Amino acid sequence: MEEQLSLIDLVLHASFTVQLVMLILLLASMLSWYMIVQRAIYFRNSQDDMIRFEEQFWSGIDLSQLYREGNERAADGQTIVGMESIFRAGFKEFSRLAQQQGMDSEAVIEGSRRVMRVAMLREEERLERHLPFLASVGSTSPYIGLFGTVWGIMHSFRGLANATQATLATVAPGISEALIATAMGLFAAIPAVMAYNRFAAKVDMFTNRYDTFVDEFSSILYRQAYALRSREKKAG
Amino acid sequence: MSASVYARPVQPRIVLRPTLATIALHGLVIYLLTANWHAFEDKTITAKVVPKVIDAKLVELSEVMPKKPEPKPPAPKPAPKPEPKPQPKPEPKPAAPKPEPKPQPKPVEKKPEPKPQPKPEEKKPDPGPSREELLRQQREDMARTMAQEEAARAAATADEMAASFAALIQRTVVGYWSRPPSARNGMEVLLQLQLIPTGEIVSVTVLKSSGDTAFDRSAINAVEKAGRFPELQKLPQRKFEETFRRFRLLFRPEDLRY
Repeated sequence: MEEQLSLIDLVLHASFTVQLVMLILLLASMLSWYMIVQRAIYFRNSQDDMIRFEEQFWSGIDLSQLYREGNERAADGQTIVGMESIFRAGFKEFSRLAQQQGMDSEAVIEGSRRVMRVAMLREEERLERHLPFLASVGSTSPYIGLFGTVWGIMHSFRGLANATQATLATVAPGISEALIATAMGLFAAIPAVMAYNRFAAKVDMFTNRYDTFVDEFSSILYRQAYALRSREKKAG
Repeated sequence: MSASVYARPVQPRIVLRPTLATIALHGLVIYLLTANWHAFEDKTITAKVVPKVIDAKLVELSEVMPKKPEPKPPAPKPAPKPEPKPQPKPEPKPAAPKPEPKPQPKPVEKKPEPKPQPKPEEKKPDPGPSREELLRQQREDMARTMAQEEAARAAATADEMAASFAALIQRTVVGYWSRPPSARNGMEVLLQLQLIPTGEIVSVTVLKSSGDTAFDRSAINAVEKAGRFPELQKLPQRKFEETFRRFRLLFRPEDLRY
């Protein structure tokens, strides 16, 4: 009876099902941590970008100037995400529609608003990426771990059936190794749940800010569109 | 142009840092878990059954902790054998009085205690020579030791207890050990014992055989006869886990003539 009660041995000597469960949980934990870190970096970057862009936007810079700067960066190969991409979508659509003759200002505004909505949905999609995975890791991995534990305990008790002398020592290692599965499940689940809640709140925050920006920007466009049309009317 | 407006949602590629962070985190967790787990297991005492060791520490033990009810008659043996210990041991190695009264053709001079804390109690009986020197030394040490001892008593109790229990186990086992005629000097068998907190031995396995089955058998028999060490219940739980949950016992006769 040389059960080495070290963690590695417990894992290595576990039954196949329990090992499979542990492997799944390890993968889930690694993937969810990957996504947690990735999301954290992405959110931090987006927040920095958003703050920078808002400063620029409200600094009184000419909007077409801002758009051209964005063009240059896009030409450099940077992907423009976040608030700026909403701005670019709206501005591009606005200038395109405004150039067309016979477009009334309502239609121009409606068109650019719609485009900005689409761009915003895209942004939301980017933000929310990986979050469903975190949610499902957070909610299912305790159950997976529990399954492994129940399976392992079942096995160790089945081993008792033929033993004439049932001591704790015959079942204890089995139970110990089975419980590792639950521990791993919790280890995977807790960070995932916490990160999911945090990131969901962040996504809400970003969505609200983008929403506000869309409204603010369309009011600016509204003003410009009317100014443009009235000038055209005077000229024509 | 319009391709940019209705752009495919491009995900900025953030791959490297998350991957590194994930691997680092999981590696760290696994390392910490296994390392901790191992620290619990590996800190095993190697209670060598060397029949002749210095016995001065037993005196000191009973003086340091008089409250410990241990049925230990401290019988100092005047046959110390300087034993080279290659591995540094966390616990001070306690001594065991040899149960078999075997005459030793060994030098009878005392080996000075290699203990860092000087204890006047043990110094007293140790050096036989001049009384003046002894008194002076005693006075010198007195003040220092008074303070030191208080601290040491509090700090080292668990260690000392563990050490004295190791000695107890050693003595008990050696007491039950009847060596076969095939035993030779230099033979050694390393046993691994597992104990439970009540002091019962739950398993004995041979880690390193001596090559002589009878000799191995005699060592296992000795442990099995000893059966349990109820004194271990007095040990604090944590200390028990550290030292006595699993430990090794080395049987090595060195007092044989051949």
